[in-house]
Amino acid sequence: MVSRSEVLSLCRAMLRAGRQYPHYNLREYTKRRTLDGFRMNKNLTDQSKVNEAYAEAKAQLVVLERSVKFHSLYPPKTKNIMEVKLQ
Amino acid sequence: MASLSTTSLSFKAPSTRISQVLKKGSSFQSVTFGRFTSSTSKSLRLQISCAAKAETVQKVSDIVKEQLALTADTPLTAESKFTALGADSLDTVEIVMALEEKFNISVEESDAQNITTIQEAADLIEDLVQKKPAA
Repeated sequence: MVSRSEVLSLCRAMLRAGRQYPHYNLREYTKRRTLDGFRMNKNLTDQSKVNEAYAEAKAQLVVLERSVKFHSLYPPKTKNIMEVKLQ
Repeated sequence: MASLSTTSLSFKAPSTRISQVLKKGSSFQSVTFGRFTSSTSKSLRLQISCAAKAETVQKVSDIVKEQLALTADTPLTAESKFTALGADSLDTVEIVMALEEKFNISVEESDAQNITTIQEAADLIEDLVQKKPAA
């Protein structure tokens, strides 16, 4: 039985993991996708479906952390244009 | 050689004891302060928790407005609850993440779950920003 606080903790953990990408596009995508994913399943009432979604997200978190480590080995050499402040 | 090592050990031991005594001494001092001035220290604590700078509150309000896509004229006070502004718990998580990035702090799980108003967020931020340079 997955509680509300566990789901929110998982969301937070995924957002935190995604923040560590050195690549702007991966960072933004992860943030957008995790929030969209959690919002999509926000109104689930069936507990078994909630558990299913939670397990899926947990697996994705493992993948995400591994991916962050891998992508950190090859950081981009120049700053992305979107990260440059407007002057 | 064995005797040399024992003498070296005996030299070390008193120094650690002295440092421990010094540490104990300092802690005693803090305890006595607490005993004598407990009422004032409590009131000082209350003052610190209420007095988040207006600047911080303003920055927090700006981030909240941006995240929740509020119009410029929505009444936003320090005591506004996020739920009253139309945020659900996921929005609150997003807001806390944005605040972490803006102020370059790290909010703990337990603290993050207890933030309900703008004032609370500003207070927590002030607290963490103060602790950071000391660490």
